[in-house]
Amino acid sequence: MSISLKQSLYLTKKKFFRAPQWELKMAARIFIGFLTLYFLLVFLGLGIGLFFIIRKVFPEADPISVVNQWLIYFFALDFLFRYFFQNPPVSDVKSLLIQPITKAQIIRRVMLRSLTSFFNFIPLIILLPFCIVVSKENGTTLSLWIWFIGILTLSGVNNFLIFLVNKNKRVAIGTISFIAGGYLLETYLEVPILSFFKQAFDLLYTQPLGLGIPLAVFILMWYLTEKFLKAQLYLDKGLSKKKERIIGSKLHFLDAWGPTGVLLKNDIRLIIRNIRARQVVMMGFLFLFYGLFFFTQDIYNDNPTILIFAGIFITGGFMISFGQFVPAWDSEYYSFLMGQNLPYVEYLKSKLYLLMFSVVVCTILSFPYLYFGKKTMLIIVAAGVFNFGFGSLINLFSGAYNVTPIKLNVKAKAFENTQGFNLTQMLFALPKLVLPVVVFYIPNLFFGFYAGVIGLFIAGVLGFLFKNQLLTQIEKIYQSKKYETLAAFNKNNI
Amino acid sequence: MISVESLSKTYGGVTVLDLQELVIPKGEIFGLVGNNGAGKTTFFSLLLDLIESTSGRVTINDIDVQKSEAWKPATAAFIDESYLIGYLTVEEYYQFIGRLRGKTEEEVTVFVKGFEPFFNSEVLNQKKYLRDFSKGNQKKAGIIGALIGHPEIVILDEPFANLDPTTQIRLKHLLKEEAEKYGTTFLISSHDLTHVTEVCERIVLLEKGVILKDIKTTASTLKELEAYFSN
Repeated sequence: MSISLKQSLYLTKKKFFRAPQWELKMAARIFIGFLTLYFLLVFLGLGIGLFFIIRKVFPEADPISVVNQWLIYFFALDFLFRYFFQNPPVSDVKSLLIQPITKAQIIRRVMLRSLTSFFNFIPLIILLPFCIVVSKENGTTLSLWIWFIGILTLSGVNNFLIFLVNKNKRVAIGTISFIAGGYLLETYLEVPILSFFKQAFDLLYTQPLGLGIPLAVFILMWYLTEKFLKAQLYLDKGLSKKKERIIGSKLHFLDAWGPTGVLLKNDIRLIIRNIRARQVVMMGFLFLFYGLFFFTQDIYNDNPTILIFAGIFITGGFMISFGQFVPAWDSEYYSFLMGQNLPYVEYLKSKLYLLMFSVVVCTILSFPYLYFGKKTMLIIVAAGVFNFGFGSLINLFSGAYNVTPIKLNVKAKAFENTQGFNLTQMLFALPKLVLPVVVFYIPNLFFGFYAGVIGLFIAGVLGFLFKNQLLTQIEKIYQSKKYETLAAFNKNNI
Repeated sequence: MISVESLSKTYGGVTVLDLQELVIPKGEIFGLVGNNGAGKTTFFSLLLDLIESTSGRVTINDIDVQKSEAWKPATAAFIDESYLIGYLTVEEYYQFIGRLRGKTEEEVTVFVKGFEPFFNSEVLNQKKYLRDFSKGNQKKAGIIGALIGHPEIVILDEPFANLDPTTQIRLKHLLKEEAEKYGTTFLISSHDLTHVTEVCERIVLLEKGVILKDIKTTASTLKELEAYFSN
C-alpha cells in the first residue's frame, strides 16, 4: 500500500486552508507564483537567447562547445545552491515508518519526490529551448539530443549527491575552493584543470556512446542513495535531532547596557542560533553587492535617483530583511516576554538599536564602493544616514502590522518563502524604498544633486533627534495591537 | 494581592469566563481545578494581560493590568513551553529573566544552584539548548525560572503534568517552602486533585467559566472534589 497522490493532495489542501491567515498566504502564493513565472521566463529567455549571444561573441566556435566550457561552473553553482536550499523531503517519513509500507517504498517515494525539486527543472528550462534553437539553426543531430540528455542526467546526479553529502561543510568548502582554484590556475598559470571537464562534456557531444557514462553514474548514485537512506531510516540515525554546538555564549560586553543589552544579547543569539534567522540575515547582507548592478552601468550612473535606491538597499539590506519580521522573530515566546519585568518601550528600543547598528555596519562595509567615485560613495552614505535615523523607525513601525508568526529553527525552501510573509509588509516596502528616493528627488530637481543629498541627511538626523518621541508613538501602536498580535502568534500553541 | 471584579470573557457570543468577585490575598497558595474548558487558562491569560477582557477588570496590588505595566515586576508565570526561549541554554535563560528582574549574574547563578536537588542533575550544565530538552526537564527549568528574584506572585499552569513522580513530590515541598519563606502567592491549576489538595490552602472549582466551589482546604476536600468530578 502506498499513499496515493489524491490522498496526499487532500492533506496538503487541508493543511493550507486550515492554517492561520490562509487568505494572506493565498495572496503570497500567488505573488510567489508570479515570481516563479518571472524566473521561468528569464531562464527561458536565457535559453533562447543563449545561441544568438554565442554566435555573436564567438562567431567561429561551435555553440555546444562554448556552453561546455561554462558547464562546470553551472554544475558547481547548482551544487552549492542545492547544498544551501534543497532539503531532502523527509519531513513526514517518521509517521510512515510504522505504517504497513515497506522501507523500500518509503525511500523510493522520498527519492522520486526529490527529483521534482525546482533545481532539477532549471537545466531543462534553459537547455531545452537552447537545443531547439540550435537544431533549428544548425540542423537537428542525434548527438545534440544525446548531449542534452547527458547534461540533464548529470543534474540528476547532483540531486542525489546532496543526499550523500549530507550537509557536510567540508564538501561545500571543497567545491568552492576547487572551482576558484581551478579558475585561477587556468587563467594565470595555464594549468588545464577545468578545461578537462570541458573536454569531458565535449566527448558527450562527439561520442554518442559517451552517454553511457552519465547514465551509469546516475544509476550508481541512485543505488548509493538508496543504500544510504536505508541505513538512515531509524529514529536514532538520520531521523534524529542533531545535537547542536552552543555558539555565542559569551557576549559579556553587552552587560553594561542594562535591559537593552540583555535583549540585544538575545537577538544576537536568535540570529546565530536559528536556521531561519541566519538565512534571512544572509540574504540581507547579499544586498551589499546590489550596488555592483547599478554602479557598473552608465544608464544608471547618470541618474542619481536610481542610485539612491541602490544605496538604500546596500546600507539597509539587513535592516529591511530582518526588520520586517519584528516582532515576529519573538513569536514563539511572545506571551512570556509580555509578562517579563520589561516595559514594552524597552523591548522596542532594543530592536531599534539593532537595526541602527546594522545600518552602521553595512555602511562601513560599503566603503569599497569608493572605487566608483566620491559621488557614488556620498550617495551611499546619505542613504545610510537616512536609513539609520529614519528608515529604522519606519521598519519598526511597519512591524506592528506583521502578525504572522515565524518558526525560528525551520528552513524556508527556495521560492517557497511564505513564512511571515504579509501583504501589508509589501505595502510598507513603499515608505522604506520610495520615501528616501522622494526625499532626494525633490530637492535634487530644484537645487541640484547636493541639495538632494542634504535632504537625505536632514531626514536621517531629524529621525534620530526625535527618536524617543517617535518611539513613544510607535509603542502606542504596538500596545493597541498587543492582543491581536498575541492571538495570532499563539494560534499554533493553543 | 490579586483582586477580580466582575470579570468576563466572551468569544463570539459564548461566555467562557464570568467571575463576579475573587480576592487572592498575599501569600496564599491558591489552587484552580476544573475540567477542560472550565476557564482556567483563560483566567490566567486575563491576569497576565495576554487577552483582553470583555468586561470587568483584574488588579494586581491595585494596578489594573490592562491600564498599566507596573504589575510586571511583581508577577511571574510559567504556563507552557512557549514560556521558554528555545534557542538559549537554561543558564542563559535564567540570566535573561534575572537581569530583567534586576539581579546580577552572580546572584542568579547562586539562586538557581540552590535548586539542584529539584533539578536532579538533569537541567544545569547540559550544554544544549532548551528546545532540545525533554518535556519534563523543560517544565522543571521553566518552574524555577518563574521563581527567580522571588516575585510576589507566581502563576503555574499544570506544574505537575509531565514531571516524574520524584520531582512531583519535590515540587510540592518546594512550593510550600517558598510560600512560607518569602510569602509568595502561588496560583496553581492542576488536574491532579491529590497534589492540589495537598499543596493549596484554598481551592476554587471552575465549571464553564463560573466559580462552583471556593473551599478552604481541609482533610475532606479531596473527597469533596472527587465526588464532584465523578459525576
